[in-house]
Amino acid sequence: MTMTLDGTNGLTFNDTSLQGAAASPYVLKNRIINGAMVINQRGFSGTPTDGAYTLDRWYADMGVASKFTVSQNAGSVTPPTGFVNYLGVTSSSAYSIGATDIFTITQRIEGYNISDFAWGTASAKTVTLSFQVYSSLTGTFGGTLRNNGNSRCYPFTYSIPVANTWTTISVTIAGDTSGTWLSTNGNGVAVTFGLGVGSTYSGTAGAWSSNLYFSATGATSVVGTNGATFYITGVQLEIGSTATPFERRLYGQELLNCQRYYYKQIGSTGYPFFSTGYVNSATRMFGIFNFSQMMRATPTLETTGTVSNYVILSSAASPTVTALSIDGQTTNFSAFLIIDASAGGMTAGQGSIFRGNNTSSAFIAYAAEL
Amino acid sequence: MTTYKLFRSIDGEVNVVIRNSKDSIPFDPDNTDYQAYLKWVSEGNTPEQETQ
Repeated sequence: MTMTLDGTNGLTFNDTSLQGAAASPYVLKNRIINGAMVINQRGFSGTPTDGAYTLDRWYADMGVASKFTVSQNAGSVTPPTGFVNYLGVTSSSAYSIGATDIFTITQRIEGYNISDFAWGTASAKTVTLSFQVYSSLTGTFGGTLRNNGNSRCYPFTYSIPVANTWTTISVTIAGDTSGTWLSTNGNGVAVTFGLGVGSTYSGTAGAWSSNLYFSATGATSVVGTNGATFYITGVQLEIGSTATPFERRLYGQELLNCQRYYYKQIGSTGYPFFSTGYVNSATRMFGIFNFSQMMRATPTLETTGTVSNYVILSSAASPTVTALSIDGQTTNFSAFLIIDASAGGMTAGQGSIFRGNNTSSAFIAYAAEL
Repeated sequence: MTTYKLFRSIDGEVNVVIRNSKDSIPFDPDNTDYQAYLKWVSEGNTPEQETQ
């Protein structure tokens, strides 16, 4: 194996890949989670509502309802070399965007994970956003990076010169020396890809602005062409002025990264087990579930909305659930569940289990998204 | 249309709100669903009163 080291390229491996800058280590460099679009805990496929999460960590802005769909590996094209998944957007109509319309795909990055960017200071570091993109359209496309208060925005453009071909994109962005950038568990920076953004929210590419922008002026509108496709994967945001090879993560590592923000329990059978606990009264169970890690915030409990999807098991009864909630004592590391059942028949003090009621659609999810 | 109903926890405090009769949102300022609920209230809306 041959490696060369010089002051221009840094470390060059024998496959010609570069370690372009010491500031961008070979591992733990990518601040994007699920950039390879592998994790889809929600099993999302369809038309997202405005603000809804699709594949893990990626949410959609849908300024006007039902203008595009999102699916993992939509259209079943061959992913770029080294990838097996992509996030696929398909336009549902030929929609003429209005001045204030916003259609995007975005990931908000937790402030803890970009604190070394030092944005908002004189030491702000340059970063590079890279990704692979495939579209039925050609032309100039756009997106932005934004702070939590939407008071600092950097529109960028990139070109897709050939339709229906994976294109590697790299955008280098000088760090912002102004504004407030969170280094907490809040929204550190939002990375947005425009799919059609009106003039009000489109700005001049290549410069920081205090205006709120979701894309760059003149960018192609994906939602403007019925059936148009926009596929993306290999998204990486790293410190440095050169895009380095995409940071590979083991499946379990990336799933764990995602579960800080969303944790879904769902079984392959009709009886997934969600929690153990004890019977508090003839009609009530208390359950405890410890998360795999500290979630970003105390999470929202999401259910199917059909209480008969759930059942309690205790020694003498298996009553169907009639109400389900978290208790206020839930924390970001443990859920305290209150599960009611009208049929009763349980005995206080006995152990119990909370599970699905013979339906594969039963799930429990905990959401602490940004 | 989104609906909210307050929920009283076992310690007697109203510190959870049920959204659309299916999701339980804790009163955590860092929870973005709670932030959305507070915005909904600030717009003049009123949740259903609590159960429990």
